[in-house]
Amino acid sequence: MSTVEQPDRETELAELVEQHRARRAEGSERRHYDLDDRGFNEVPKKWRKFYRHWLGAGDTLAPNEIICPVCKVVIRSVKEIRAGDRLYCMPCMSRLLVVEADDGTLVPEVVY
Amino acid sequence: MADFLSQYSIQRWLEMCPQGYLEDTVYGHSPELKEPVILVGNETLREESIRTTVQLVVGERCALAASSGLVNAAPDFPSKRFLATQTLDEARHVEIFTRRLFDLGVKEDDLESTLDEFANPNLVKFAEVLLEKVEAGDFIAGVVGQNIVLEGMAFSVFEMLEAVSREANPKFAETLTGTIADERRHVGFGENRIGSLIREHPERKADVEKMQAEMTYHMLATFADSFRGNAAVVEETRAVAAAEGFGPETAEWHGTDLAAASPEEMEAILADTVLGEFKTRLGRIGLEYQSPPVPA
Repeated sequence: MSTVEQPDRETELAELVEQHRARRAEGSERRHYDLDDRGFNEVPKKWRKFYRHWLGAGDTLAPNEIICPVCKVVIRSVKEIRAGDRLYCMPCMSRLLVVEADDGTLVPEVVY
Repeated sequence: MADFLSQYSIQRWLEMCPQGYLEDTVYGHSPELKEPVILVGNETLREESIRTTVQLVVGERCALAASSGLVNAAPDFPSKRFLATQTLDEARHVEIFTRRLFDLGVKEDDLESTLDEFANPNLVKFAEVLLEKVEAGDFIAGVVGQNIVLEGMAFSVFEMLEAVSREANPKFAETLTGTIADERRHVGFGENRIGSLIREHPERKADVEKMQAEMTYHMLATFADSFRGNAAVVEETRAVAAAEGFGPETAEWHGTDLAAASPEEMEAILADTVLGEFKTRLGRIGLEYQSPPVPA
């Protein structure tokens, strides 16, 4: 009887990650978000929905959010944030470039 | 050039600050809020509040002198314009913290003598190191000292004080919230403006780093005086507050419960937070954090 070799879990996961990366590289559709005003009053009204305060322990970031490394405000995008995105932090005027860290997390770098 | 300032204008500052988070405030807080009666009525609590507020006035007077001095030293008009708004921010901070001293019962005629009596000598030296650079017209050192070192320290100190005051003293907490919002712009300017200038003038690194080490030394000495050196008073104040039922049950800040922490623990968490921020911010703009000698 012939046997079919089953892929091990590690290989399966590696393939899934590769597929995920490939989809991202192809520019697969991003999730969009409707932003609500979270009471951040440090910028003019028109832009308030794009920011919120970090609430400390217990708070978590959504896929469309990232913390400004300069002023610690949470920046909110209408799209899921991905590596290569450019963001602007109005409260501290910093321009940020999102990069992928070695561990796969997204981190904002300040562009001077 | 200061391209990051292309979106910044006096109009933007008006919309963010006076017409934004300061709208409907009086001296930085909601008009109906007052200092807690117990804080004004109990001599131990009042004196400790005055001591803390005096350090804020001293720090903000230094920031006012530095930012106004840097207007003329700035090499481009966008930076001058930003520093003009920062000058008004700092003048406001001096005013609101001075007003708090009056609310705590300090007489206007006694203001200067109260500042002389309670100002921490190490904080005064910290300010002198910075103002020497500003008076010499040294824009790079002045902005690093003012907008990264001084403002970086103020950012964490204000956050810590706000966490402790949020429940027990909403008036002071609101006052601090507005100043923290101002500090975001100030540290943003410091990093973004100096980030590009340091790349253009790498020969200035050693001199600027030496100033940072000197300022850091005096800052740590100020923290040591305020917590370890003042431990008996801090503990007594806490005991009096507890007996009066005043103060928060818990006040979480950077993983530490400030309501239960010893003066040594409070000093450690503040110093670790500020130094961690210094290292990160300086590293981002191409400067290497210099450890100062440990204050006695």
